[in-house]
Amino acid sequence: MMEAKQLIEMNNRRRTELTPENEKYYSDFLIYIRLQFFLSEQQSEEILMEILDHIIEGQKEGKTALEIFGNDPKAFADELIAQIPKENKRNLARFISSLSLNMLGYLLMIRGAIIYIISFFKDVDITVYPAKSVLLFFIILGVSLFSAWAIFKIIGGSLFLEKKNSAADTVKAAVVGMTAFGVIFSSSHFLPNVGPNFDFSWYFSLVIGFLVWGASRFLKNW
Amino acid sequence: MSLRSQLLKGILDGCILAVIEKEPVYGYELSKKLQNAGLKDVSEGTIYPVLLRLQKNSYIRGEMQPSESGPNRKYYYLTDTGREALREIAMEWEEIVIPANFLLKMGDSK
Repeated sequence: MMEAKQLIEMNNRRRTELTPENEKYYSDFLIYIRLQFFLSEQQSEEILMEILDHIIEGQKEGKTALEIFGNDPKAFADELIAQIPKENKRNLARFISSLSLNMLGYLLMIRGAIIYIISFFKDVDITVYPAKSVLLFFIILGVSLFSAWAIFKIIGGSLFLEKKNSAADTVKAAVVGMTAFGVIFSSSHFLPNVGPNFDFSWYFSLVIGFLVWGASRFLKNW
Repeated sequence: MSLRSQLLKGILDGCILAVIEKEPVYGYELSKKLQNAGLKDVSEGTIYPVLLRLQKNSYIRGEMQPSESGPNRKYYYLTDTGREALREIAMEWEEIVIPANFLLKMGDSK
């Protein structure tokens, strides 16, 4: 059995065999299917590989992807999506927890590094208020997931169009990014420092961040 | 939808299972075999949603294997459940086709 990761590599390799016209047709189709976050990755990659193989074989007979799969690739993709099994809950839970841990790890490491650098120039307050930090972490996580979802939407909307409106999409993506930054920045600024607290030095932050990051890598490849 | 394509839609599952019963095939090969058998209206894309559905019902299973002409391909095999389903479809088909043939031919000879 080939794993999804191997299928993706094979897909990348074989996609170079497509004519420019077929490449355009297929790549929109590919992105559209891969954006379906809740579908089984394995099954999605298998069907994507089959379609790619079919187009390559058709090419050899002088047929274009448009002739083979019709002029409504989105409708065809939707038909497939309706039949692709959902990703199983355990894989999904593992993916999301690995992503959250990964982010937590980076946040802690970045905090450590910043405090270390700033401490050369001035005294840094290293007090941590767990209640605020936990709340802030979930706000950052929520905002990140929402931004990812919004960006996916923008990409999804840009597919299968004759003329791509990339300027408008760039503006939309920038608005998403700035909103996300605004929410995170103002939460960290305005949330009160209440409850129990302790000192959390830069090297502890760095070491624990590294461990958490390692755990997220482990969870991802497990 | 034309009568022809409606009929075809109803029986396409059976035709695909029948092709796979003879020997394991991959997607492109399957579409060629259906067309060579005379089912010219089966547009090549239509087989893929059907293949996914048949897999979900465990009538067929796919396996990635090296093919004669190069790359690894997903070959479809009939399962025992699929064999059962194929027999049932074939039986029901006969129950319709034989009387329908009879009636239509009678109309012809008048």
